[in-house]
Amino acid sequence: MKAFQQNLQRLEAADTQVLGVSMDSAFSDKAFADQIGVTFPLLSDWGGEVTRQYGIYVDKYKAARRVNFLIGKDGKILEEQVDKDAIDPTRIVDTCERPKLKN
Amino acid sequence: MQEKLPKMLAALLLAGTLAVASTGPAVAQSKPPEGGSMSMPKVGDMAPDFTLKYFDGNDLKDVSLSQYRGKKNVVVAFFIFAFTGG
Repeated sequence: MKAFQQNLQRLEAADTQVLGVSMDSAFSDKAFADQIGVTFPLLSDWGGEVTRQYGIYVDKYKAARRVNFLIGKDGKILEEQVDKDAIDPTRIVDTCERPKLKN
Repeated sequence: MQEKLPKMLAALLLAGTLAVASTGPAVAQSKPPEGGSMSMPKVGDMAPDFTLKYFDGNDLKDVSLSQYRGKKNVVVAFFIFAFTGG
């Protein structure tokens, strides 16, 4: 989440909203956001319905995998980063800054 | 006749063994694939819409993916638990 915060100005300049999602309560998400200085919303998927809908719920850990989706203005998925690759969002930031996505 | 009986039994046993052996692999093939839960949407797919809540410090607020349609790109970053790195 910190990595997105560090890139937030670039993402916002490229017309991109960042939303974090976890299966924690909204209140612990907020405490986490405050602690690490995240200013974008961290959404609570309490119960994991959306996490399952996106196919990234891991039974073994009773939690989500670390996955980033970049979704375009038309609602289609443009990029996916999974597990270790999802820690560094550079590719997503670069994709957002492609001129055709700015319009 | 009495001499033929053991041979018939042996033939029956052999046939039975062959039948079991031949059905074995077929049973193995019909097993469902591993991890048969819902799969991840792919690049180019429509992202499933959702509405989730977050706490802005004062109120619980609803955010849905569809509210950004036609306005903004959206990064949806799933993370494992609060208070973990990344």
